Amino acid sequence: MKGIIFCKRTVKEILRDPLSYIFCLGFPIVMLVIMSIVNNSIPKEAGMKIFELDYLAPGMAYFGLSFVMLFTCIQVSKDRTTSLLMRLHASPMKSIDFIIGYTLPVIIIALLQMLVTYTAALILAAVIGKSISIVGILLSIITLLPSALCFISFGLIFGTLVSEKAAPGICSIIITISSMIGNIWMDVDQLGGSIQKLSKALPFYHGVKCARLSVAGNYSELAKPVIISMAWALGLYILATFIMSSKLKKDVQ
Amino acid sequence: MAYAIEIKNLRKEYGAKVAVNNINLNIEEGCLFSLLGVNGAGKTTTIKMLTGLAVPTSGDAYILGHSIREDINAVKSIVNVSTQETSVAPNLTVRENLEFIAGIYGMDKGKSKQRVDEVIEQFNLHEVEKNKAKTLSGGWQRKLSIAMALITEPRILFLDEPTLGLDVLARRELWRVIEGLKSKITVILTTHYMEEAESLSDSIAIMVDGCIKASGTLDELLKLTGADNLENAFIKIAEEI
Repeated sequence: MKGIIFCKRTVKEILRDPLSYIFCLGFPIVMLVIMSIVNNSIPKEAGMKIFELDYLAPGMAYFGLSFVMLFTCIQVSKDRTTSLLMRLHASPMKSIDFIIGYTLPVIIIALLQMLVTYTAALILAAVIGKSISIVGILLSIITLLPSALCFISFGLIFGTLVSEKAAPGICSIIITISSMIGNIWMDVDQLGGSIQKLSKALPFYHGVKCARLSVAGNYSELAKPVIISMAWALGLYILATFIMSSKLKKDVQ
Repeated sequence: MAYAIEIKNLRKEYGAKVAVNNINLNIEEGCLFSLLGVNGAGKTTTIKMLTGLAVPTSGDAYILGHSIREDINAVKSIVNVSTQETSVAPNLTVRENLEFIAGIYGMDKGKSKQRVDEVIEQFNLHEVEKNKAKTLSGGWQRKLSIAMALITEPRILFLDEPTLGLDVLARRELWRVIEGLKSKITVILTTHYMEEAESLSDSIAIMVDGCIKASGTLDELLKLTGADNLENAFIKIAEEI
């Protein structure tokens, strides 16, 4: 119950920050439109699939999730800075209440963000005369949930370990890495070699693959990336809760 | 005599540094007790231990009979603290901040609304109740921070340097609020301002280098040192004893 009350507070804090709208909602839509325009300028003979709407939209939905990490990280580090957490440490709240209170709001925001991105993609598809499967989109949102949890875990870890000033810098590095080797802007499969190996060793590539296979209706290949994404999500979230609980306990040593 | 707080050989070490050095102190229920000391004297560390924000290295303290080592959850439900730094949720309104803390301490909606209304009345927060905390001046934020500590109806309230950095008018306004709490609950105040302790306290303790060097009423401290005011008494105790 205390976790839910803390959760409501976190939702209000995030939704009342204008940057949330700019980065979580506005930025992915703007990128979707710009990349679609870029795709229009690429000759069909080039055979470049990565910017085509049914391929780009799932990538953008995944890319948007990386900003959820940024907001989780900023919120946790800001609370630590403003000493609100100290007041709450002196209250009957337990570590689990803090973890629930930070996780649930950003999962809701991640869901909203994916809905907005895919709605924009559907509108854009109607404008340019393309079709995207709504069932595929809904499945994509579900298969992207482990990826959302991965990014939330990164946000909890960095928010616990670094200062409010350092948080955006650290998150920018992860956002850049995830977008580059996650197969969002750069066709990693075509590049092959070490880059492809590195991509497959990290969670981002598999998360993007889940979203794209779902939208494409290619369900037979979906199991493997979903299992890998879920394993990463579980591992990272356990690590995040451990680091956060340890830090909360260390703060009262 | 009923004691709100009984401190027995309480000690806190941070590595090689001894922040609080085996202090012993009894604080009567319902009094306003001031803990004075220069920076690094151990005042804040003592408050942190008494409120569950730091674990003692050795010794113990009993808050209305509950041990801070054995029964910290019971302690947390009957005390509250307003920290040195203003600890408010910046994007929540004044009313929402109060409701948030009431909820964290387990009040149901009806009780929470009643307490929020009472505290808004008590602290004259009407004109800012719909304003976001981050838009308030330092004085208002500090008032809100104390109101958030009081909304849970604590039996003991710890105020750690509540008027630090405030202008003289805001400070006097807060003095009135703190004076209004006297005899209703036990208040433990740490401060650098001697006139604040002199004006508000029933009892005073002076900490130097983690030790309690003297404690008693203002008159007892003046008699002990032969000083004519608390500031001179403090200097004598801090430098000579």
